[in-house]
Amino acid sequence: MIQAEQKNMVEVNGLSVVYRQGKQEVPALRDVSFAISRGSTCALIGPSGCGKSTLLYVLSGLLESYSGRVLVDGAPVAPLRRETALILQDYGLLPWKKVYDNVGLGLEIRGVTGKERSTRIERVLTEVGLWEMRDRYPSQLSGGQRQRIGIARAMALDPDLLLMDEPFSSLDALTRENLQRQLLDIWKRKRMTVVLVTHSIEEAVFLGQKIIVLSGHPGRVLSIVENPRMGEAGYHKTSAFHALTTELREKLVP
Amino acid sequence: MNRRLYVNLFWTIASILFLIAGWQLLASVMNKPALPGPLVSFYTFAVEISGGLWHHFVVSSYRVVISLVLSLALAVPCGMIMGREERVDRSLAPLIYIVYPVPKIVFLPVLMALLGIGDISKITLITLVVFFQILVPIRDAARGINPAVINSVKSLGAGRWDIYKHVVWPAVLPEVLTSLRIASGTAIAILFFSETISSQEGLGYYLLDAWSRAAYPEMFAGIISMSLLGFIIYIALDYLERRACPWKYVQL
Repeated sequence: MIQAEQKNMVEVNGLSVVYRQGKQEVPALRDVSFAISRGSTCALIGPSGCGKSTLLYVLSGLLESYSGRVLVDGAPVAPLRRETALILQDYGLLPWKKVYDNVGLGLEIRGVTGKERSTRIERVLTEVGLWEMRDRYPSQLSGGQRQRIGIARAMALDPDLLLMDEPFSSLDALTRENLQRQLLDIWKRKRMTVVLVTHSIEEAVFLGQKIIVLSGHPGRVLSIVENPRMGEAGYHKTSAFHALTTELREKLVP
Repeated sequence: MNRRLYVNLFWTIASILFLIAGWQLLASVMNKPALPGPLVSFYTFAVEISGGLWHHFVVSSYRVVISLVLSLALAVPCGMIMGREERVDRSLAPLIYIVYPVPKIVFLPVLMALLGIGDISKITLITLVVFFQILVPIRDAARGINPAVINSVKSLGAGRWDIYKHVVWPAVLPEVLTSLRIASGTAIAILFFSETISSQEGLGYYLLDAWSRAAYPEMFAGIISMSLLGFIIYIALDYLERRACPWKYVQL
């Protein structure tokens, strides 16, 4: 029963989400449709309150009350899909676990133990350049280091779908650029599908092969922009890069 | 690091000396047999502890330690579940709300009538009091866990049990030990009270017996023992908190 490999990693069709606030029903997303092909990157951008985080929660399987059709790798989205990893802006690391155990947490929960677990932890910590920090607690790290540990923890699971909710927004500009490059490097090596929620237009153009622009209250797809040159060396210095940011800025702030 | 340890030690000893000096001053000024000075009290303590006082000390320690362990074993799981499972909390919260302010000590006569005047009624009473004192802070700590932390761990594939093991338990642990440290004072007060009523053993009995015989230095030997018991428990819990929650004491 081998299924033909799905071309699209993520398929969203007519997705609507309604939040209940007391007796009121607040629509968060209305009739959202798009597809993300396997191994590509996609940036979701929009004003605050446009439901972009909600969308990510639906894709991760954590939010189950929605209407519409959401397929991940050809199957209806399921909670605890093993190959999906989620990285949140903050709070992702447990303050009571050392870096080493934080990175290994997903593996521990999935029952990966012993030699395999320790090799994988060492591999991903070395990849993000923080193997020396393995015995520290998160509170002893800088914000940038913490987010790199968060990425390492996700990569330890060998995900084919990486979901990120404004992962770099609380970092200073230099650290942010560094991490964006590092993420790009990792993606070029692994080619997992990446869905990145951001409120930074530059970040969306730098990291998204496809940029989905959402409008606010409730969130709707305003436009979908293809960005085929993403990942090219020096792309962020070209005039095409700036033209695209300007185009997006005009869509977002008419 | 070592220097700080010495400074701490210095101030601890200084505080003890200060307290003893104040006691001596008060005793000299009042000059009553009911308030002997520290010298004669500590001397009597040293003599008595190698005699009958040791037995009473052991009995009281046993009662209070068993009560603390029991309260912990009952309150920690209850508190964590009430803090995390909304449905459980909704049905139990009103009960807790009503029972919490009832002064549990008034049940001592009832407990003695039902369970006898031995260890069991005393342990039950202390457990009853301490249980509620630590249940509420544990529940609130479990409830206050940031949902983002829960979600990020869930996204790693965690089931309910994993959440309790990796998130809820370590998140409430500092609160458990702090609330227990605070409750240990109340526990000893309840212990003292329960031991003064139709009892033949324990520091409370020893103290009241000395009082009825007007043996004031012995009475103060009992007071010293009781303070020592409280002090030891307090230090032990403080030490435990440092050992069990190392992430709270790391240098930034």
